[in-house]
Amino acid sequence: MPVVSTRDILKGLLVEEAMRRQVIQLSHDVSLDKCINQLIKFKVNALLITDETRCPVGAVSKTDIVGAFYGGLPIAESLSMDIMNGPLITCFPDDELGVALDLMRRNGVHQLFVQGAEPCAMVGTLSYSDVVALLYRYCRACPKGAVRRSELTDCSDQTQLLIVRDAMSTSVISCRQEDSLARVIEGLTAHRLGAVLVQDAKGLPVGVISKTDIILAYHHGSSLEVEARSIFKAPVASCDENSLLSDAIRHMFLKDVQRLFAYAGDPSRIVGVLSLSDAAHIRSGSCRACITSRIIAAP
Amino acid sequence: MYARDIMSPRFHILSPANSIAEAVKMFHIASVEEQKRIFGLMVIDEKDQLVGMLSMYDIILFIQPKHIHVWSEIEDLEAQAIFGELLDRVKSVRVSDIMTTSVVTVKPQTHVMAIADLMIKRHIRRLPVVDGKNVVGVVYISDLFYHLLEKFL
Repeated sequence: MPVVSTRDILKGLLVEEAMRRQVIQLSHDVSLDKCINQLIKFKVNALLITDETRCPVGAVSKTDIVGAFYGGLPIAESLSMDIMNGPLITCFPDDELGVALDLMRRNGVHQLFVQGAEPCAMVGTLSYSDVVALLYRYCRACPKGAVRRSELTDCSDQTQLLIVRDAMSTSVISCRQEDSLARVIEGLTAHRLGAVLVQDAKGLPVGVISKTDIILAYHHGSSLEVEARSIFKAPVASCDENSLLSDAIRHMFLKDVQRLFAYAGDPSRIVGVLSLSDAAHIRSGSCRACITSRIIAAP
Repeated sequence: MYARDIMSPRFHILSPANSIAEAVKMFHIASVEEQKRIFGLMVIDEKDQLVGMLSMYDIILFIQPKHIHVWSEIEDLEAQAIFGELLDRVKSVRVSDIMTTSVVTVKPQTHVMAIADLMIKRHIRRLPVVDGKNVVGVVYISDLFYHLLEKFL
């Protein structure tokens, strides 16, 4: 009886092909003020925290900073060591991407640190968006992908292309403009989300609040009682649920956003949300050819 | 010869609460008034204390899309229009959010050769001159350059 194994579109791709080689690190005794400055400045999800010997001891993520805000920690006096998480979740440059993605999903993190030969040396980071960016570049080069399809003489067959609905999450959490930041944070935390949709009194989408917006509010000295309307970003970055997944991914990269809200026909009717992590989980940039390559195969 | 002898006692500053748009305007004003390109400005708080530096590099680093390498592969791109939209999204960001907070400074009595050494080793183009807790001037690399190479002028 053959041993059944699965093939994966990520098979053969290594972490080092997708990872970013810049690691933003801070000492364990710097203030949260400085942590936020570095998270915003370098647009990263998490910072590497080191001890006095410059050895990594943990990480501070945007989620940790949001927790500190909610917990009322004073931003200038509280230190990175007060909120950091450890031990670090790491992978190696020569790990397979699929293994690294599974590690991220199992641990519920958006970023892994890539460990070098020495235990204390972190040589890079890997996030969902890095994986999607790599796959998108492969898709652009693939003659069967959505990007090149327009160049084919027979482009009538659209059935193989993935659309946003195939990858999006239909669970959309929203809040009202007048809701307090405390309530917004509670919603984000309860559903383990990165952003929440803001609606007006008629239930129409008017903006989005992400964790980045919340940590900026914390940095600017806002209180937890300020209303969502004071910090949300508008307009809502959105796309039709029937749009091609490759178009949506391109849209996210060009707009530099982590997620798109999906609507059904009418932009005011939000029915789902597509994040870069959703796109990474489906492990394809554009078409089912990649998905079906995960066929059952006998070695 | 010391920092106090070559520093520019007149300098433009930013507040931590300034928006990025205000910072860009200040860069322009400073360049016009100083009659030389100003690539970095000191950030001074309400207590008159130096809390950071903001350079053009910091701003460009922040506004560039995270996956700029993907952009470079997309040939059919209206980059200018898309970039304009990106700028709309930085409205809520302040100088304090992206400034460099670890600032290297010198004292008025720091020797020019020590300043040259610092600038070369740390790749610094401007050094605030701090007396006690107050900023009294700034030494630009051009000040140092023309001072050291005056003989060739």
